[in-house]
Parts: sequence; structure tokens; C-alpha cells
Amino acid sequence: MDLAHSVPLTKQDHAPSVQPKLLWIPTAKSGLIMWLTTVDHKKIGFLYGFFALIFFIIGGFEALLIRAQLMVPNGTVLTAQQYNTMFTMHGTTMIFLAVMPLSAAFFNFIMPLQIGARDVAFPRLNAFSLWTFVAGAIILNIGWFIPGPNHGAPDGGWFGYAPLTSKTYIPKHSIDYWVMGLQLLGVASIAASLNFIVTIINMRAPGMTMMRLPVFVWMTLITAFLIVLSFPAITIALVELMMDRNFSTVFFEVSGGGMPILWQHLFWVFGHPEVYILILPAMGIVSEILPTFSRKPLYGYPIVVFSGASIGFLGFTVWSHHMFTTGMGAVATAAFSLLTMCIAVPTGVKMFNWIGTLWNGRLMMRTPMMFALGFVWMFMIGGFSGVMHSAAPADAQQQDSYFVIAHFHYVLIGGSIFGLLAGIHYWFPLMFGRQVSEFWGKLSFWLIFIGFNVTFFPMHFLGLNGMPRRTFTYDANMGWNTPNFIATIGAFVLGIGMFTYFAVMTYTFFKGKKVGKDVWDARTLEWSLPVPPPEYNYRVIPTVHARDAWWYEKHHQEEIAKEQAEHAKVEADHGGIHMPNQSIWPFVTGLGLLILGVGATYFESNWTPGIHAKLGTVLFGGFVTFIGIYFWSIEGNAGYHLHLDEHGNPVDEKHAPPAKH
Amino acid sequence: MRLTSLLSTSAHWGRAALAMGGLALLTGCDLNFWRMEGHQSTMVVDGPVARSQLGVFMVTVWVTLVIFLIVGGVLAYATWKFRAKTEADEHAEPPPQSHGNPLVEIGLIAASVFALVIIAVPTLKAIWYTHDVPGGETRPQLDALIKKGEAYEVTATGLQWWFKFEYPLEQINGVGSLVTSNELVIPANRPVRINLRTMDVIHSFWIPKLAGKVDMIPNRANHLWVQADKPGYFWGQCAEYCGDSHAVMRFRVVALAPKEFTEWLEAQKLPARDVAPKPALAGAPKAQFAALRAFKRNEYGFSDKYAETPSRPPLESWREKQNPEKGEDAALIAKGKALFTAKSCLGCHAIRGHGAAGITAPDLTHVGSRTTIAGAILENNSEQLRRWISNPGAVKPGNKMSLSYARTDYYGNKIDGIQLTAEDEVALVAYLESLK
Repeated sequence: MDLAHSVPLTKQDHAPSVQPKLLWIPTAKSGLIMWLTTVDHKKIGFLYGFFALIFFIIGGFEALLIRAQLMVPNGTVLTAQQYNTMFTMHGTTMIFLAVMPLSAAFFNFIMPLQIGARDVAFPRLNAFSLWTFVAGAIILNIGWFIPGPNHGAPDGGWFGYAPLTSKTYIPKHSIDYWVMGLQLLGVASIAASLNFIVTIINMRAPGMTMMRLPVFVWMTLITAFLIVLSFPAITIALVELMMDRNFSTVFFEVSGGGMPILWQHLFWVFGHPEVYILILPAMGIVSEILPTFSRKPLYGYPIVVFSGASIGFLGFTVWSHHMFTTGMGAVATAAFSLLTMCIAVPTGVKMFNWIGTLWNGRLMMRTPMMFALGFVWMFMIGGFSGVMHSAAPADAQQQDSYFVIAHFHYVLIGGSIFGLLAGIHYWFPLMFGRQVSEFWGKLSFWLIFIGFNVTFFPMHFLGLNGMPRRTFTYDANMGWNTPNFIATIGAFVLGIGMFTYFAVMTYTFFKGKKVGKDVWDARTLEWSLPVPPPEYNYRVIPTVHARDAWWYEKHHQEEIAKEQAEHAKVEADHGGIHMPNQSIWPFVTGLGLLILGVGATYFESNWTPGIHAKLGTVLFGGFVTFIGIYFWSIEGNAGYHLHLDEHGNPVDEKHAPPAKH
Repeated sequence: MRLTSLLSTSAHWGRAALAMGGLALLTGCDLNFWRMEGHQSTMVVDGPVARSQLGVFMVTVWVTLVIFLIVGGVLAYATWKFRAKTEADEHAEPPPQSHGNPLVEIGLIAASVFALVIIAVPTLKAIWYTHDVPGGETRPQLDALIKKGEAYEVTATGLQWWFKFEYPLEQINGVGSLVTSNELVIPANRPVRINLRTMDVIHSFWIPKLAGKVDMIPNRANHLWVQADKPGYFWGQCAEYCGDSHAVMRFRVVALAPKEFTEWLEAQKLPARDVAPKPALAGAPKAQFAALRAFKRNEYGFSDKYAETPSRPPLESWREKQNPEKGEDAALIAKGKALFTAKSCLGCHAIRGHGAAGITAPDLTHVGSRTTIAGAILENNSEQLRRWISNPGAVKPGNKMSLSYARTDYYGNKIDGIQLTAEDEVALVAYLESLK
């Protein structure tokens, strides 16, 4: 396949650089090779979603085991050790392997479509992010499959407070898996975020000014900045922990003058922005769904955007509210208490604007709308218990109690997950050209909604009645039996609801009703595409004239048609649509990191000189990574060009290459 | 009339619905959990610190409740009012494409800020009030208060998975500070400053009815103050995940009137009681403090029968515990005392006056006078004591005492260590119970 050479070029700046063709350029359009080598943002987004849902199911099972253990006092479903592993992995899995990649799936799939781009700025970097995420996820979970007293899944809590995570207290490799897994996930997240930032800043369609960006794109941008700025803090913390565990440094070792409190600061400087990393994408999704199904624009667009930005900014100033009980002193406590209250203002503003969007609208009660409204209600309740925590004296009683568990599940399930489930439902017809049945969609919504509230509302009472978190057992005489029992029943209803939701999704994916484009009569650009969107997204890059670009196009069809015809001609003259080549090297790089990570964590250290298992595997992994990066860079970014007729069918290959005779 | 009948009907259905959790009833628990009156309640409190924290909490509850009713009301109304009700609605022309109103936005922002100020003022007041003993914020001030008898000071240290309590104000000749473990006895109605330390990982010291938690962090001198309104018996628990047995790292706090507190201190300062059987006291009904179900079926003392309510106030049972058990068997106790040395218990535990001076495990000088054992998870009686010393790892997974016992490791290798016969256990239990 020599597309790079065969394309007629009329403008020099569109010319792909000519590369020595030493390397295999994969062109498979289906099968395993396609999935491993794809650089298409939609396919990568799909893979992100696929892996995220697998881990969402795993994390859900972990949650059900936790609830089964706590159903009655002195439960015997799990041992103390197993229980501690469950809550550690439940938290880590849900945050890093379910909600974040699910958000990333939407960033990948939807964001370029919404700004009228043909791909993200760095398609191969995007694939690298995906495969590095998978490598990190594997290392995090590898402990489940390695029995033995020196291994096992991580059990130091998702927050991994030093010095419990030191070799002294947890000599097992479980913490090493956790450290290495999170480290790789950080690499993946930062690479992906830089990609999204560059894409949003540089690749917007003509006319798509910043203040015309769909709110979801704004939230993607803010989230990406949060990731880029906050992950370095945990990266540093994890490196220090890794050094403490493996190379006898004393960052957190009291005996050597280390400070365990340092871990908490580093962790929460990352950890609090992380909360917004989890919720802002869902807010963005809801800000797309509410206008669509209210059939009017978002109320107060600029304020929604700026409140999102100020949440992101303030998110970096409140980390110590996770540390009110660490004895920071009255002044620091007061300062963080007040700053935390401040964050309620931009959050409240969003709430008002969502209600304002409904006001005077015509609400179409479809399933995505149900989830979005569920989001607004549940997030409101979670927000209120958040305000309660901002009052430091009250938090001294609630910290690490079930009240906190209730709070953040209202924000993370009622907020993030409801938002993401709404998003899946909303964009499903766009992604796959099939629509989920309203009956089954609504049934799953009500099961999830009821199950969720029955599970987590009683936990407010449990917490106020003094039940601490992360406890594998409790006594029968503390007044905690009934709420725990109810919560467990609720958890299983929630489980059934989630099962229904995903069973229906899977069924629809294969057998659902086929639909055409723009099923919801929506407002943003992605709905102007045929379903499912073609690989090149837009036959003609759209020109944006208004904030709700597609809504404008629908109401100015003649003008738009004329404009598009002109632009199509210009693009064809410029050499057609430039498409990136598929590449195996991002996958190879990720694979190298996986080998390196497993080698560094699984094997025992061996201080005798020479190449042994640990050093050997790490070197081999490093070599594979190097090979991946090396060939990735010499392969270049040539790509090929597509030529389309008016209906978007490729016309290349046969008559396109009239080139050199 | 109709209203009352409606109310009673709905109450009836409510009860029925709850009882449909006949399942819930099977677990043998009350359905009044929303009253939150448990032993670790933060809603029914017994001291000024917890009361101040509860006060702030209730301010946040009322403020957010009012906002919730307003915002939730508007949201519900808008959802109901503007929903597409008919088929025609669904296909009608879209409504006016309005974009918002800055004045409304600014007004709502101002209202939110105002609501937050209502919360912020009491929050700030309570932060300073709960931070340290009033009037004793600096060391000299605190010392002056202590000298006047208006404050008291103890040091609590967290270890995996128990608490050590030291009384720096109570010095014992040739020994140092008075040390106890897992049951903290404090004077009632007097501010008590508790210095918080840890020997290993981070723990958190929480007596919900007296005060919110403060963490015990290595390399950090934290503190907390509490005051009990009146004599009482309180439940406490570690509130920061600290490893395998975090869930069973608990303690008790006993607050005593001044005279009783002084008497208790005098008794505690004495070396361990020597084996000299005394006339038995009349039997008293036993209190149920806590119970942990056996982890292994064949374990001695397996029982999952719990008394939900103590048969008497726990403080009275605590007082009862200060007296020697009836029917002590001097010979058996002497045998237990010998075993305590022979089985190397003294390597870790201290029993003042009996030649045991270990410091890595709880001080057992007066262990018989405590209401609980094993980090306040088992009631201190002969049955539970025996269950504890016969297989500590089953009661408290991963604890250090279990590691000194003979056991089989993961690979099936036998590891040498303490082995107790049934007779040994009985003798040791008798000895420990005699340490009043």
C-alpha cells in the first residue's frame, strides 16, 4: 500500500513527509490487528469504554462482596484480610479503572466530533494512552492471580497512607503492584490529557470559538488541565513510596526522619482535583443532555463554563479538607474550611443553571433525560452533605465514618456514574446506529435509582451513629444492624439494575432497533454526522455560526448546503482528507511498559551481581519500550489521503492516483 | 378526623413495609435506627466538645435543608410543569430559545454566599473552641490549669491494634508514669487533654459521644481535648485504616467523679495483686460489652448469642470489676503465674510487682479490673479470656500475640512457639482474672 506516494498534491503544506518505507504499515480494517493498531479516536474511545465497563463490573462485584460481609454483624463472608483487599481494590478500580476511562471514552469519541475535527491532535499518542492504561490496569489487578504470602491484590486502601504502605507493615508485593499500576495509569492519563488540550485548542472547526464550544468540550478541557496539573503530585508521591519500599530511602520512614504526613499532602493535592476529574465530565454530559431534551439552549452558558473553570481552580486549594483530623492547627483548618465552602458557590450555580434550562422548556422524558435528572437530584444531595463536611468541627465527627461513604457515593454514583450512564444512553445511537428500548432503559433507570438510594441513604444514619469506615466487622449492640441490612438489600437491587442496564446495552449493540442520524433532534455538531460516524468523521469540515451549531444548521439549511459545497471543493483541491496511518508501535510501547512494570514488581530483589529474573525482565521490558518508541518515531506521520464523493463514499485508489506516469 | 385516620393508615402501611423486612426483623434489630442513639452516636452526646461539633452540624443540616426544599421544590415543579405531556407536545415547535438572565444568576450567587456565611460563622467559632482546652492553649497555661485541678492530662498511644494510656501526672516510684491499656479512665466534668501518639502506623482516636476524632500520626504531636458531663462509660474506636485488624481496634473510656477517680488512681498505682484468695462477693449479673463471633467453628467458647442490652448500666459493671472475683483458687492462680513466665508472656507484657516488664504489649498489672480485653472487643470474663489466649489470631487477625504461638505457615511449615494445653489456659485465665 503506497498511498502516501500516490496522492495528487496541489498544496505543498498538505504534503505528508516522505518516509523510507522500512516499516510495516498495517491497513486491516477489521479483526484483532485493526484493534491493536487503530489510531481512530472513535475506536480508541470504544476500547476505553469497553475496558472501563469490564472494570466497572469487577469493581461492582467487589462492592457486593463488601456489602455481603456487612449485611449482618460479625459477618463471615470474608476474612479481615480479604475485606481490606476488597475495599482497597473497589475504590482504586472504580476511580482509576472505571470512571476515569469511561470519561476518557467520551472525551475520545465525542469531543473531536463536537469541535468538528477529524481526529485528535496526536492519534498514535492516543493509542499509546489507551494501551498504557490497559498495562496499568493489568498490573493493579495482577495480585489477584498470584497466590502466596508475598503477593496478593493491594490492601493498603485506595489512599495508601504512609507508613502503613511501607515494607515494615505490608512486606507483600501487593503495594508494589498498586504503586506501579497507578504510576502507569498516571502516564496514560497525562498523555491523553495533553492530547485533548492540544486538540481542543488547535483543531476546532472554523467559527468554533472558545465561547461556542459545547459545554462537554469545555469540561473535557478543564478536566484535562486538572489531570495534567494534579497527577504529577501523586507521581512524586508514588516514586517516593517506591524508593522507600525498594531502595531504602526514608521519605515516609519516621526512623530516618521522614514525615508520613507528607504523603497525605501529596496524595490529596492530587486526590481532591481527582474528585473534580471524576465529576466534571459528568457535569458536561448532563449540560448536553438537559438542553437537548428540554429543546432549548443551556441556561447561562458563560456562567456554566466559568463555574466549571472556577471549580477546577478552587479544586487545587482545598485538599486539606481531607485532613481536618490530622491536627493541622486551628488557622489552617479554618482556611481550608472556608475555601471548601467557597467551592459550593460555583457548584450551586451549575445546579441553578440546569434548573433554568428546564424552565420554560419542553421536557422530553427519554431515558437519558431520566438519568440526567437523577444526576441533578442525587448530586444536589451529595453536594449538601459535602457542605456539611466543609464545616471542620462537624467533619471531625464524620471523617472516616459511613456518613462520608454516603456523601461521596451520592457524588460519585449519583453524580459521575448517573452522568456517564446518561451519556452512554444519549450517544449510543450516534456511536452504533442503534437505539436502546425506552421501556428497558427506564426500567434500568428506576432499578438503579431506587437501589442506589436504598443502599446509600441509610449510611448517613450509620455514620452519624458512629460506624467507622473500612471495618470488616461490627458488633450487634451498636444500633447499626438495620441500616446495614437495608443497605445490603439496596446494593443487590442496584446490582440488578446495573445488570439490566448493561444487558440491554449489549442486546441493543447486536440486535437493537436501527436508527438514522440525529434521533434526539439534538443541538451539537456530532449529531450532523451519519450513524455510526465514518472513519474520517466529516466529509466537509463544518463551519460554525452559532453556539448550538447543529441546531443552527438545521434551521439554516440552504445557507449551510451552499457553504459546504464550496468548502468541499476547496478541500478536494487541497489533496483530499488526510488520514493517519495505523500503527502497531503505541501498542508495542505499552506492552514494553507492562513487561517492565511486572518485572519490577513481581520478582524479589536479588542483590547479588549479574542478570537475574528481576533485572532481566525489567531490562527486557525497557528494551521493548525503547523499540516501540524508536520505530514510532522513525515511522513518521505520513498517513494517506481520502477522496470522497458527495455521499461520503471513498473514490480513491481507483481514480485518485493519477500521479506520476 | 380523616387526617388522623389517614395518618394511622399510612403509619400502618409504613410499619408493614418495614416489617416486610420481616427479614430485617430476623436480624434481631430495632427499626428505630434513625434515632441514632447507639453507643457511638454523634447525635446524642455527653460532652461539650462533641456538643459544639453537633451544634455546627445541625446548623449545616438546617441551612441545607431549607435550600434543598427551595431548590428541590423548584426543580420538581419545573420537571412537572414543563414536561411534554401529550403526543402533540412532543411534536410541537420548540419553545423560545432563551439563553439565561445574568441578574438571576448574580442574585442566586449572592444568596448562596449568604447561606454559606450562616454556616461559616459557627464553624469558625467551633474550630477554635474544639481545638484545645479552653484557657489552656499554651503549655504554661495548661500546666496552671492542671495545677488548679481544672484540667487533666493523659497520653494515648496507638499500636497495631490496641491503645496504651499513660498518666504523666501519676508517677510511681521507680517505675515512671502509670500505664494502662484499652480502657481510659478520666475524671468527669473536667477538661482532659489527651496527647496523641503512635508507635507504628497512623491511627485515629475517636470517642464519638465526647469528641470528634484526631489522628495519631508518627512524628507528629497531636492532641485532643474532651470533657465528660458526668460519670459514664463510653465507646471508642480507631477511625483510620491501620491494617488487618483495624475494625477491632477499639477502646473504652470511663469517666469517674473526683473521689472515685482518686481511689481508682491509688488502686492502679499499687503493684499487681498477689494471690491471696478473699471471701467471694455476691454474684452480680454480668454486663454485655461486646462480643466477637468466633472465626473458627471448633474454637473454644464459640457462641453467637448476644445480649442486645446490658443487663445493667455498664458503669456499674465496671465498678463491680474493681473487686476480686468470687471463688478464687489460689493454687490455680499460682500455677497461672508460673505459666505466665514459663510461656514467655512476660517478654511483651508488664505486670508490675510480678517480675514482668515487657513494654510492647498491653500492661496487665490490673487487667482483671477492666471490663474488656483484646482491645475492647471481648468482654473480660473467663470464657472470653480463654477464647482469646487459646487462639488470638482467630479473634484479632494478624495480631502480634498470635505470631508468638506455634502455628503452621502458608507453605505448611510448622513454626515453633507458645503452646498451651487446656489446663494451662484455665490456670492462665484464673491468674489474669485475679489481677485486680
